[in-house]
Amino acid sequence: MKIINYLIIIFVFLSFNSLKAQDQNDKLNIEITKNLRCLICQGQSVYDSDTEFANSIKILVQNKIKDGKSEKEIYSYLKSRYGEWILYNPEFNKNTYLLWLLPILMFLIGGAIIFKLFIKKKN
Amino acid sequence: MASIVGSYSLIFGLSCSFLIIFFSIKNFKNTQVFDNRILSFTFLQFFLVVISFFSLILAFVYSDFSNETVFNHSHTTKPLFYKISGTWGNHEGSLLLWLLVLTLFISIFLLKSKKQKKQYRILTSLIQQIIIIGFFFFLIMTSNPFNYIFPIPKEGLGLNPILQDPALAIHPPMLYLGYVGSSIIFSSSLAAMTLNDISRDWAKHIKQWVLVSWFFLTLGILLGSIWAYYELGWGGFWFWDPVENVSLMPWLALTTLLHCILVLEKKLFLTSWVVILSIATFTLSMSGTFLVRSGILNSVHTFANDPERGLFILIFLFCLIFLSLFIFFFFFKTDKNNNSLFWLSKETAILVNNWFMVYFLVVVLVGTIYPIFLEVFSSEKISIGPPFYNKLIIPFLIPFLLAMTIGPKLKWIKSDLRNKGYLILFFIISLLLSIMIIKNLSINFLVNTVLVTSAFYLFFITSRDFFVKGFNKLSQNIAHFGFSLLILSILFNNIFSTEIISNLKIGETFEGKNFKIKFEKIKQKEEYNYKSIKGKFKIENLDGSIEVLYPELRIYNQPNIVTSEADIKTNFLTDKFMTMNYVQNQDYFNVRYQVKPFMIWIWLSVILISLGGFVSFFKRYEN
Repeated sequence: MKIINYLIIIFVFLSFNSLKAQDQNDKLNIEITKNLRCLICQGQSVYDSDTEFANSIKILVQNKIKDGKSEKEIYSYLKSRYGEWILYNPEFNKNTYLLWLLPILMFLIGGAIIFKLFIKKKN
Repeated sequence: MASIVGSYSLIFGLSCSFLIIFFSIKNFKNTQVFDNRILSFTFLQFFLVVISFFSLILAFVYSDFSNETVFNHSHTTKPLFYKISGTWGNHEGSLLLWLLVLTLFISIFLLKSKKQKKQYRILTSLIQQIIIIGFFFFLIMTSNPFNYIFPIPKEGLGLNPILQDPALAIHPPMLYLGYVGSSIIFSSSLAAMTLNDISRDWAKHIKQWVLVSWFFLTLGILLGSIWAYYELGWGGFWFWDPVENVSLMPWLALTTLLHCILVLEKKLFLTSWVVILSIATFTLSMSGTFLVRSGILNSVHTFANDPERGLFILIFLFCLIFLSLFIFFFFFKTDKNNNSLFWLSKETAILVNNWFMVYFLVVVLVGTIYPIFLEVFSSEKISIGPPFYNKLIIPFLIPFLLAMTIGPKLKWIKSDLRNKGYLILFFIISLLLSIMIIKNLSINFLVNTVLVTSAFYLFFITSRDFFVKGFNKLSQNIAHFGFSLLILSILFNNIFSTEIISNLKIGETFEGKNFKIKFEKIKQKEEYNYKSIKGKFKIENLDGSIEVLYPELRIYNQPNIVTSEADIKTNFLTDKFMTMNYVQNQDYFNVRYQVKPFMIWIWLSVILISLGGFVSFFKRYEN
């Protein structure tokens, strides 16, 4: 009897876990599809769109998550299939060095200018 | 008939410009008195543009399809309100609106600047006339709203249904009041620079215009955002879409200018920076128009584009930039004053504000135009979306909020932090409160806690100031309080939003974790210019409360477009947001249900922010 009780507890616990996993998967799915461009729409994400294309991508992402693929793997798969245009989160590569670094650079230059203002005024 | 009147008033309006320029040049050096003919012709020009605008409205109201613009954008079955708002819901009409505001503003400027020097007024009006002429030519040559078609079509093509909306009827005029207001700042700073007359008085005088443009631009962006929230149907309010960014950039520049001019008002310092910002604001407004109208951007808001028009604006833009650079390098004399700068002072705080604001501006600018350049140079297409902006903006938002809290506490010239123990106390309270809120959630603890803490900090300190300072510095306090509320609402909205998407047939029930959604029935109805399909959804929450939502599908007759109208139940804490979408060849509907906390606070806080500008404007007016 005791064993059965334990088994039930373990079973409940396991199913609870898988339930939670389901929940996590949905969350991940939403997060990923929000970061994908719906290629046939005008500036909409896959998540936001209800076109056939977007729906097919949603299902594709869902299946990939079920297969245990990581977020990164899914992005790189989609990138190889549809090009970088589909990713809303631009990667850091030779095409985008300037994109990521230019704002930071400007921030540093701005800081330097302000700093110089203090130095100059002191003299 | 109306079109002929409109068309001729445009040409007469343009000739007024040349007369104004002629009198201005004649008047510039000859006498001490301002030639009133300049004023008269400016009014006449404004009056002619008003006539032209009204005749276009009339053509829309009477569905005069011999007019090409009306034919392309109107339909006899459209409700009267949208016939009128359709006047500026298209490229040609909206440009006429630009021109209307341009001529209106220069008239007001000339009336309100009688105390200023004669030469300065004339020069400002002269530069403004150059812009006006540019727009007249643009309008008449590439996008004339009064083109005639023959044979006269029986029916028009109709206005895009998603533009048939009250918020979108007033959104463009608001936005243009902001954009065009910045043209006055542009002309005025160029004029003052040419005359070497950038002074504290000038700062006081032009700040009014900065406030006006800023106020309208803020409201204009807000209306656009509200519209996107309920009309585009996926429950977001800001998408970092290029067209949205394009309106945000002048706003950021204008906000920077607004703070910077406070310093110039107190002492002659940062003059070149004020001038650069004035030029940048208008240039950004113009390039925004160029980017949107040229069709270069891939955006959800694209509705009017034509490459030829883009080229015209681009050339015009280059001329204006060239003109301003020319004046800047040949006439501008750097300030020779020796104002010392102490590290702990209001000036420093404003410099820090400017530093961060410009950084945000650069992020948005680079994010918006980088893909365009990359495609031209390497023919590779990349997309830049919310993750990019979040990564680059959020970390910088934290020190920005802290500086925003402490900055206004500092005095001009030199300050200290004595008697400011409450600053530390409030910081600890904010920190504890944030930890309590964030610790039970499955999100990144560190980032969110720090972010929420800094927002709470600003929130508490500004709230305290309402009691301590009362009407003193009210405008600044309202705006900063509004900003803290905005950041808090956006954060909590992001953290606590829940959403589900499901395919439901009529009669089916969706079982969620905290609620059940029952799709009870649909009701079809024939409306004036569309067919409506309304779903009835009953939502039973876990706590027993019941909500009924009626999302709608509209099938418009002309043009034949299906739109999805969200049903939103708003209260002070949360918005319940539901849309349904038609799925082709299926008997189910795609249903989207979202619970979005603090939505209304996002709108209210932006209204508060703009109210700050409003109060500041009238406070100055009394002085």
